[in-house]
Amino acid sequence: MLLQGKTALVTGASRGIGAEIAAALASHGAVVIVGYYSRQDAAERTVERIRASGGRARAHRADVRSASEAAAMVEDAVEHYGSIDIVVNNALSPYSFSPSARRTAWEQEWDDYREQLEGSVHGAYNVCKAAMPHMQKQSSGRIINIVTNLIDFPVVPYHDYTTAKSALLGYTRNLAAELGRFGITVNALAPGLTQGTDSSRDTKEDVRRDIIRLTPLQRLAVPQDIAGAAVLLASDLAGFITGQCLRVDGGLVMG
Amino acid sequence: MTAPGRGEGDMNKAIKQEPLQVQAYFLPPGIEADVTVAARFDTPDGPAELLVPALNEDKLRSIADELKRRREEYLASLTTADVVERIAAAAERWLDPAYPHRQLAERLLPGLTGYAADSIRLQLKRYMRTFRKKELLRFIGEELDDPLMLDEFRPRKSGGFSRAYGPELIFHVFSGNVPGVSLWSLAMGLVARSAQLGKTSLAEPLMAVLFARSLAEIDPRLAEAIAIVPWKGGSRELESAAIASADAVVVYGGGGTVESVRAIVPAGKRFVAYGPKASVALIGREALTPDRLNGTVARLAADIAHYDQQSCMSPHCVYVEEGGSVDARSFAAYAAAELGRLQLRWPRSALTDSEAYAIHDVRNRYWLEEAEGGGAAVYASPGGTDWTVIYRDVPGFDVSPLNRTLVVYRCRSLEDDAVPALASCGREGLLQTCGVAVHPQRLFGMAERLGRIGANRLCPLGTMLQAKAGWHHDGRFNLIDLLRFADIERGTEDDAEQYDPDFE
Repeated sequence: MLLQGKTALVTGASRGIGAEIAAALASHGAVVIVGYYSRQDAAERTVERIRASGGRARAHRADVRSASEAAAMVEDAVEHYGSIDIVVNNALSPYSFSPSARRTAWEQEWDDYREQLEGSVHGAYNVCKAAMPHMQKQSSGRIINIVTNLIDFPVVPYHDYTTAKSALLGYTRNLAAELGRFGITVNALAPGLTQGTDSSRDTKEDVRRDIIRLTPLQRLAVPQDIAGAAVLLASDLAGFITGQCLRVDGGLVMG
Repeated sequence: MTAPGRGEGDMNKAIKQEPLQVQAYFLPPGIEADVTVAARFDTPDGPAELLVPALNEDKLRSIADELKRRREEYLASLTTADVVERIAAAAERWLDPAYPHRQLAERLLPGLTGYAADSIRLQLKRYMRTFRKKELLRFIGEELDDPLMLDEFRPRKSGGFSRAYGPELIFHVFSGNVPGVSLWSLAMGLVARSAQLGKTSLAEPLMAVLFARSLAEIDPRLAEAIAIVPWKGGSRELESAAIASADAVVVYGGGGTVESVRAIVPAGKRFVAYGPKASVALIGREALTPDRLNGTVARLAADIAHYDQQSCMSPHCVYVEEGGSVDARSFAAYAAAELGRLQLRWPRSALTDSEAYAIHDVRNRYWLEEAEGGGAAVYASPGGTDWTVIYRDVPGFDVSPLNRTLVVYRCRSLEDDAVPALASCGREGLLQTCGVAVHPQRLFGMAERLGRIGANRLCPLGTMLQAKAGWHHDGRFNLIDLLRFADIERGTEDDAEQYDPDFE
């Protein structure tokens, strides 16, 4: 039980990686706010899953692009569970990873970038802004922002998505520099292509095979891989790690 | 802190969802049947249940009569080109990821069959591509020099004319081991212009139904000559009634199923059986160089993982030749690691007790041999039966308990060791597909040897489960097996001329 007594908020936790992170944090003792935006049914299933394994969780709907909704979600956590110790910013504007249907650089509109920046960076900003005062008061906290290994190795150039995630990595490092003095760590987690999620459904077999061929551990990530790394960064084991980007991609990107 | 659980009751109450009801049957219009729930299973969106019609001999006979009537009214008058167009049009719908029937199949089949969702999705679309128009034409052309023989009397090279007729009604007994395996049989029957009565297995009763619905979207009258009904195999009354109504019987399944149906088909009635088969892989040293090794192992492991080796085309074992960059023992360890990775990607289905027991039994046997210093080694998934690789240092052949159980045989030479080891399997009529990875100069020699002992398909590793349209399924023709031919003998047409009053 690495996270006994902690309260965690995971955004975008109804499905995929977010749901798995929520379940993993709960399995290590954290009580979890399952943040979601559109998929109430899936969020409820995540909550059910956590409760069925003896954990505590509640779902909370919020559009993290809205400062007030993000703040309300953080206050909900504090009101119900007394604190906010761990924040995992996983939500993003809807995105489908389809190598064949993606837009090329010359087809991208600035609005595409804006939408991804809104979801990834503005969303994380709003949640962190609301959580920071509580973490400062506690002199502790863990913020984990989900980015992508495409920042280092754009094996498929998803321009808008990856640019926004790069910005989120920059935000992460600056936040780490600023918040370290309060005992708050801020790190990024960079998954490789993760199978079994709705957004990776459109990544077809040939691209998967190419990635696997280049990956030392010879497979794609599964949500549990990302969740395990999130538990590590959320726990006291990682108390002296901040401002880092931990790649969870089977060794595809090294360094 | 507030009391634990406060406010948690408003959301996230235990989800009591009404099960999604899925019609696991397809009947011609006008046939009503009482419906019962035959099975319940889970889907990502909640529980689902299969609805099946209550059947008895009379009901089945009336279905068969209706099918024959509807066939006579419409299907029998379509041309080969018409039928091909319609089947291909239905398949094209399935090749659209947004097609509702495809999405339904992708949602329901994992829970129903236990196979991994991603594996099903991949295999289904690969399979559906074999129904494109070009493939159907290739398939028919492979079997009939002149496909128009299915439409009219056609001149023959040797003189005279011939026409091919399909059965009026085909009774299919489909197996449930591989989703969609029923579709080729249905398509073939439609090309033969036959009405189709398909008995599905409750293990996978859906694909035939969904494809029949797709055909109905394309051409409702064509689909009126199709009925798909599941019942529990071995029901003598129902099977006898179906056989009595049909003039051809096609059976897919294990030895027991095939024999039990064969026993009640009257002599003289067309009977086509696709019974139990075993497939193997053969890997030459040239496929085990450091640059080829990863790909070789990955392709073999994929052939094992898809449909958990339940297809007749799935490999039971692999013969690994000495002299590559890894020896066969290391190859076994590598294959085991790859199966471990695939367990995350395409998790294996849950097993019944007897299936799991069969795997434990094999493991125990070779663990014992390993402990006694024999030439075996066991690589097994920890804490379960997810995957098993057994290394043996002398080539042989045993039927695998399947469900991702692979035997790796070391051999000095594929030609001199592996082929003889397979001879008895071939003699028993079991040997089917051989996935091969060898140098081009060896390929035809290997094919000659394997063909001689009974193999009927050589293919690349990684595609063992994807037979091409027009393959000689189990070494035979397929469409021709269903047809009968009528000849106008050479000279008859000339002779007829003299009965034209205007003749000379």
